Amino acid sequence: MGRLEKMKERYEEIVIPQELNARIEQEIMKSRRQQTEKSRAGKRRRYQKIIRSMEAMAAAVGILFTAALNTSPAFAKEAAQLPVIGGLARILTFRSYETEKDDIAVSVEIPTIEMIAEDTGIMVDGINEEIFTRCSQYAEDAVLRAEEYRNAFLETGGTPEEWKEHKIKITVNYEIKQQNNDYLSFVVRGTENWSNAYNESIYYNLDLNTGKLVTLEEMLGSNYMELVNESIREQIAERQKAGEIFFAAEEGGFTGISQEVKFYINEENRPVIVFAKYEIAPGASGEIEFEIVKEGPPSSQETQ
Amino acid sequence: MKQILYERLIQYILENQDRFYRLAYSYTRHQEDALDAVQNAVCKALEAHESIKNADAIKTWFYRILMNECLAVIKKRNKVVLTAGAVGESEAYYEKGYEQGGDIEQELEKLELDVQGIIKLRFFEEMSLKEISGITGLNLNTVKTKLYRGLKLLKENIQEAELWAD
Repeated sequence: MGRLEKMKERYEEIVIPQELNARIEQEIMKSRRQQTEKSRAGKRRRYQKIIRSMEAMAAAVGILFTAALNTSPAFAKEAAQLPVIGGLARILTFRSYETEKDDIAVSVEIPTIEMIAEDTGIMVDGINEEIFTRCSQYAEDAVLRAEEYRNAFLETGGTPEEWKEHKIKITVNYEIKQQNNDYLSFVVRGTENWSNAYNESIYYNLDLNTGKLVTLEEMLGSNYMELVNESIREQIAERQKAGEIFFAAEEGGFTGISQEVKFYINEENRPVIVFAKYEIAPGASGEIEFEIVKEGPPSSQETQ
Repeated sequence: MKQILYERLIQYILENQDRFYRLAYSYTRHQEDALDAVQNAVCKALEAHESIKNADAIKTWFYRILMNECLAVIKKRNKVVLTAGAVGESEAYYEKGYEQGGDIEQELEKLELDVQGIIKLRFFEEMSLKEISGITGLNLNTVKTKLYRGLKLLKENIQEAELWAD
C-alpha cells in the first residue's frame, strides 16, 4: 500500500489555482440573482391583488377612459377593419405598438371589449380600463426588469454584443377563446422570453346576458369545486396512463382548485381550467388545461 | 425549507471547492479543464438545487454531478485528440508538478473509468463504500467487487513494473 499512500500525498499536493474561488463565486452570484428574481415575482403577485381592488374602485370613475376610447384614432381604425362576429359584443385591439431600446424588444397589443348592441345596458368600461392599466403596467415593469438585468449583465463583465445575443423580447397580447351571444372569453398574456418568473395570464369571461364576469359556480352549480376536482383527478389519471408526467401532491402537484383558479370558456361553451407552467407538472408540459363537462365525464358515470 | 437547502448547498460548495478541484484535476491533468469541470458542476448543481431532498444528500448528490462533468471533459478531449489523428491517443499529457515518481498514477489511468473513480473516491476522498454506491449509482456489492478488482490489477501491474525496472 506504500505506493497508494504516496499517490495520495501527491494528490493532496495538487496546487489550487487562485482562479478557482473566483469562478465559483461567479456561479453563486449568477444563481443568487436568479433566486431573487423568483422571490420578487412572488411578492409582486401579492401586491397585484391589492392593486386589483384599487382598480375596481377606479373603474367607477370610468368616464375619462370612455372618452379616450372613443377619440383614439387606432381604435377607430381597428373598429372599421374588423368584421362583426356575433351580435352583442366583440373584442378588438385597442392599442398596439412595438418599440426597441438597448436591444430590448417590446411588442404590445391591448384588447378592448366593444359593445355592438346599444340597448343592452352592459357597461364594459370598467373592465376595459382594468385591461388597459394592467397591460401598460406590465409592459412598463417588464422593461424596467430587463434594463436591470442588462445593467447587471454589463457590470459583471458581459459585453453589449453578448447582450444583443440574448434577444430579449417582451410581449403583451391576447387570444380570443369564445365570442358568441352568450359569452365573451379571452386571455391577456404578458411574457418575457428570458425569465418565466413574471409571465402572467389573465382570463376574462364575460357573460353577455348579465354583463358580468361569469364564475365557475354560475356555470357548474354550487358544488362546482367537487365537480371540477373530481374531473381533473380523473383526467390526470388518464393522462398519466398515456405517459404524461404530473407532480405528486407532496411535490406541489394538484390538490384541488381554489376559488381563484384560472379558466376560459371554449367553443362548446364549457369551462376549461388552466394551470400555469410548473404549477402541477414539470415545465416541459407548459400550460395544462382541463375541459370540464357538467354532466361529468362518461367514466365517472359508469362507476356511479 | 428549500431556501435553507439552497444556502446549505452554497456553503458546502464554498467549503469543499479545493477537494472538487483536486478530483477534477486528477481526471483531466490540466488546470483549465479542471476549472471548467468544477465550474460546470457548480452551475448545474445550483440550477437544479430544488431536486435535493435533504441536507444529508448534498455530498453524494454534488459528487455525482462533479464526476459526470469530469468524465464529460475527458470524453470531449479524447474526441478532439482522435479527430486530430494523433498517434497514441490514450496517452494523457502531464503538467509539471504532478508527474514525478507518478508511475502508479499512470497505472491507475489505464483502469476502466468507473474503477478509477471508485478508487479515487475511496482513497483520495476517503468516502465510505455506501457513499460511493450513492454517487456512482452502482449497488454496494458491485462497488466492492470493482474496488478489489482494481486494487488487484494495480498491484499486479506495479509488481510487473518493478520487475522490469530491475
